Amino acid sequence: MYRVYAVFIGILISIMLTFNGVLDGYLGNYLSVLLIHLCGLITVTIILISKRQKIVLNRQVPFYLYSGGAIGVLLVLVNNICFSSLGVALTSSLGVFGQLMLSCVIDHFGIIGMDVYKFEKKKLIGFTIILAGIIVMTIY
Amino acid sequence: MLYIILAILGGFLTILSMVVNANLAKKVGVFQGTFINYVVGSFIIFLIVLFIQDYSYINNLANIPFYAYLGGTIGVLVVAASNVIIPKIPTIYSTLLIFIGQIFMGIVIDYFRISHVSKGKVIGGVLIILGMLYNTNLDKKRLIDENIISEE
Repeated sequence: MYRVYAVFIGILISIMLTFNGVLDGYLGNYLSVLLIHLCGLITVTIILISKRQKIVLNRQVPFYLYSGGAIGVLLVLVNNICFSSLGVALTSSLGVFGQLMLSCVIDHFGIIGMDVYKFEKKKLIGFTIILAGIIVMTIY
Repeated sequence: MLYIILAILGGFLTILSMVVNANLAKKVGVFQGTFINYVVGSFIIFLIVLFIQDYSYINNLANIPFYAYLGGTIGVLVVAASNVIIPKIPTIYSTLLIFIGQIFMGIVIDYFRISHVSKGKVIGGVLIILGMLYNTNLDKKRLIDENIISEE
C-alpha cells in the first residue's frame, strides 16, 4: 500500500511544479520564488504549532546543514525556469536522470559520508534505455 | 539545450537537498528542519529580490488565481508525506515509484496545457521507467547477495 502512496507523492510533485510554474508566469522568477517560500513557511509553521513543537534554534547544528534552504531556493528557481519551455513531463524526466547520475557518483566514491558501492558496468544498459527515453521525449 | 542542462542540474540539486535535509532532520526533527530550510530560503530569496529591484510584476498580484499560491504548501506536504512513506518502502524503489507518479501526472498536466498528448512523452516515459526497473533489479540482486534485504 505504501508503494501506492509513493506514486501519489510523485503526483503531488508534478502538481506543485505546475502551480509554481503558473505563479512564475505571473510574478517572474524571483518574486514567485519568494512567495512560494513564504507560503511554505506559513504551512510548516501551522504544522509546528498544531503539533505543539517549540522552535529551538540554538542546538549543535553544523553550519553546512543550514545550506538546505539555499539549495531549495536554487531548485525552485531552476524548476520554474524550465517549466515554461520544457513542460512538466520533460522537466521531471531530466530531473530524475540527474538524480540517478549523481546518486551513482555518490555511491561509487562514497562522498558526503555515504558507504561506497562501486558502479556496476551493467547499469550502463539501464542508463542507455533511460537516455533513449529522454531523447524520444525531447525530439518528438 | 540550456534548459535541458538546467533541468538535469535540478536533479543534482534534488539529491543534494535530500542528503542535507536528511542530516538536518536527524538533528532537529523533520518539521523543525523544514522550518529552518524555509526561514533560510525565504531570507535568501528576499535578499535577492531586494538586490534585483525588479518590481514590474507587482501589478499582476491581483490577477493570480488562488491555486497558484498552493505550490509552497504542497511542497511542505510532500516533505511531510515522504517522511512517513519513504522509510516504509525499500530505498531502491522510492525514486522509481515517485517518478512513475510524476511522469503520469506530468503527461496529464501537459495535455491540459497544450491539449494534446504527445506520443513521444508516453513512449519516452515508458522507456525511462524500463531503464530504471532494469537498474533497480541490479541493485536488488546485489542487496540480496550481500544479505541486506531478503527476497520477497
